Amino acid sequence: MRTFEGYRRANGSIGVRNHIIVINTVGELAGLTNKLAGLVPGVIPVVHQAGQSQYSEDSEQTIKTLEGTAGHANVSAALFLGMGSKDPAEGIVETLKKNGHHVHSIIFDKDKSITECLKDGKSWLENAMKRSKEEKTEKADISELIIGLECGGSDAWSGITANPSIGALSDLIVEDGGTSILAETTEAVGAEHILANRAVNQEVSNRFLEIVKRYEQRAKAVGEDIKAANPSPGNKTGGLTTLEEKSLGCIKKGGNSTLMEVIDYAHKPREKGFIFMDTPGYDVESVVGLVAGGAQIVLFSTGKGSPTGSPIAPVIKIGTNPKLYENMPEHIDVNAGKIIDQNYTIEQIGEEIYTKILQVANGESTASEKYKNHEFSIWRLAETQ
Amino acid sequence: MNYSYEGFKRDDGTAGTRNYVGIVSSVICSSAVVREISEKVSGTIPIVHANGCAQLGDDLKLTKNMLVGMSANPNIHSALLVGLGCETNQVSGLLKQIPKTKPIKGIGIQQLAGGTNTVQKGISIAEKWAEEAMEQERTKLSLSSLTVGVLNVDADHDSLTETGPVIGNVVNRLVENDANVIMGLSKTLAPAGLLLSERMVDITEKEKMISTSKGLNRLRWKDPTIEDTNGNEYTEEQTNLAVLESEMTGSVPINSILDYGEIPKENGLHLMKISSNIVESLSKMASSGCNIVLVVSKRGVLTGSIALPCMTVTPQSNKGSFDELIDYTIKGSNVHQESERIIEELLEVCSGKQTEVEMLELGEFSIPHLGTTY
Repeated sequence: MRTFEGYRRANGSIGVRNHIIVINTVGELAGLTNKLAGLVPGVIPVVHQAGQSQYSEDSEQTIKTLEGTAGHANVSAALFLGMGSKDPAEGIVETLKKNGHHVHSIIFDKDKSITECLKDGKSWLENAMKRSKEEKTEKADISELIIGLECGGSDAWSGITANPSIGALSDLIVEDGGTSILAETTEAVGAEHILANRAVNQEVSNRFLEIVKRYEQRAKAVGEDIKAANPSPGNKTGGLTTLEEKSLGCIKKGGNSTLMEVIDYAHKPREKGFIFMDTPGYDVESVVGLVAGGAQIVLFSTGKGSPTGSPIAPVIKIGTNPKLYENMPEHIDVNAGKIIDQNYTIEQIGEEIYTKILQVANGESTASEKYKNHEFSIWRLAETQ
Repeated sequence: MNYSYEGFKRDDGTAGTRNYVGIVSSVICSSAVVREISEKVSGTIPIVHANGCAQLGDDLKLTKNMLVGMSANPNIHSALLVGLGCETNQVSGLLKQIPKTKPIKGIGIQQLAGGTNTVQKGISIAEKWAEEAMEQERTKLSLSSLTVGVLNVDADHDSLTETGPVIGNVVNRLVENDANVIMGLSKTLAPAGLLLSERMVDITEKEKMISTSKGLNRLRWKDPTIEDTNGNEYTEEQTNLAVLESEMTGSVPINSILDYGEIPKENGLHLMKISSNIVESLSKMASSGCNIVLVVSKRGVLTGSIALPCMTVTPQSNKGSFDELIDYTIKGSNVHQESERIIEELLEVCSGKQTEVEMLELGEFSIPHLGTTY
């Protein structure tokens, strides 16, 4: 029985961090969001350029993602900045308040000056900060954790060291009653049959095949080939030759557990166990979706080395080869390269990742947290109107 | 009136109204490093965005073109490109495309073995360039070195009645004095396409304008093959508003319609396809070579372009605008006098006077997506 110390939220969820965030609903407010966050030390700005003049598929996705981000278990309090009478901020705040979240919105419009709005925002954030300092942690069971699985900058070692180790970890978490979410639909192309065969029932299997097919078809419809973007230049220098090869390595992160559910981008899983989320292969957008869906911690394997993180969830970087760890230790938390040069087994590295997850859940900073890698961007679907 | 302003002369015949060292991120993965370099060196601006990898076709091309255009923008004294290393949008490719008329370098996080080294290296390069930029002096320049963007937002019947003729006259005067003007063509102006096409000299451009008047086609996630058109379905109100808005383009001939971060081939009036997203539109204008933007708005815009001064002009009937954002309020109905005053203020801003938005230190950059990421 493994446990960790976390922050219990009013809606019953458990967080491994206690962040205060300020978040914009439209790109026009990104600058003011950064400015306001800068007025209160420790507040994290979550900024993006979505949310203006978007078609319905995009605006729904934007709102869903913002809601999941601000209502995340790792967030103690969230302040929304919106503008004008049609802004979604107030609606999102209302929904989150119903679930007991500590949230507030400030709408920039005509009856208050910018200076006043910033002053109000600052004082709300200061109070939220004070309040968060009084929140105590409590013991929680591993079965309450949702772990997101991501890879970025894959090389030929990804499918041999880091990804299978993440797979071993995923199986351990699932065995202990927890949840792991695999993502990046494009990186299942060519290996989709393997995951589909592991689905709990025909419906889940079909749903999975459907999202993979949809991605391929979309690319074709606009006269493109997914294989032109994947493998990327870095994947190729890392020794990967085809998308199928990359995919076979990518899905190793999913271990051998039964696929319980396939969920849409930024949606929360209803089942426990091994889950798949429909996201693009673009790291930051994918991580943002996983976190909005409730992942408190994200595992991220990299062969080339990538600094990106998340403003909300600690991202644990797992390096695929010894040379990377030697060159770039500042961006790597776990060195799966030891499988190559120090005779470690996949199971041992899986255990090492598990230990790291518990340390991080208990408050230890990851590399991406130390360097304040708060990249945030929502998966864009259509052109702006 | 003999107009001139004080600006920074560039080797390629353009001129800056500002003199920034641009720290340009090729992909979102290097954005934190770019921000850090920029925070440490004054005189630099971070040009960061959410794109750069897992993109295809036109969507990727637009990202590349806009970053090339931003690096080449006359307000940028020098450009340091910072990449991650494994991204689709390789720094080496961008370096090949950027004209070699200013100091340009590229560095990468993976090549330099981590963010810390990259930040250090970036700071040392940027400091040297920032010093050079500081030493450069403004010189007296003619309007032919000016490219003015005009962005109309949140207009209604009353405000357009007031701003249309005045801004139209500003555009006429600028073009008559050899300046380049790029006016935003969004869905609110599109219904006036046929009317505007009558002022287009070039046949190909005229045809482009006529097809634009049938709706600005946008790619969607749902049914990507079905182009979303609203051709000939404009309401009377939309058409009337568009006609009013078209007054802002003055009466000079229209040279071309710009798309995909295109840079105008010759000085004159150009229309640029934009979305209704303000940051995206300002960014498109910056990457097409504008060195200042005139924002026409009832309320004022809560941000600007990271690289360009954005001067906000508001109508008299601007009840409830953000006073802190407004640079010029139209007073009275003397069109000639008002437009002269706006040009006067515009030239002062070009010569270094800070706009309200600049004083608030607000400025953004973003690259539109033409499709989804992969």
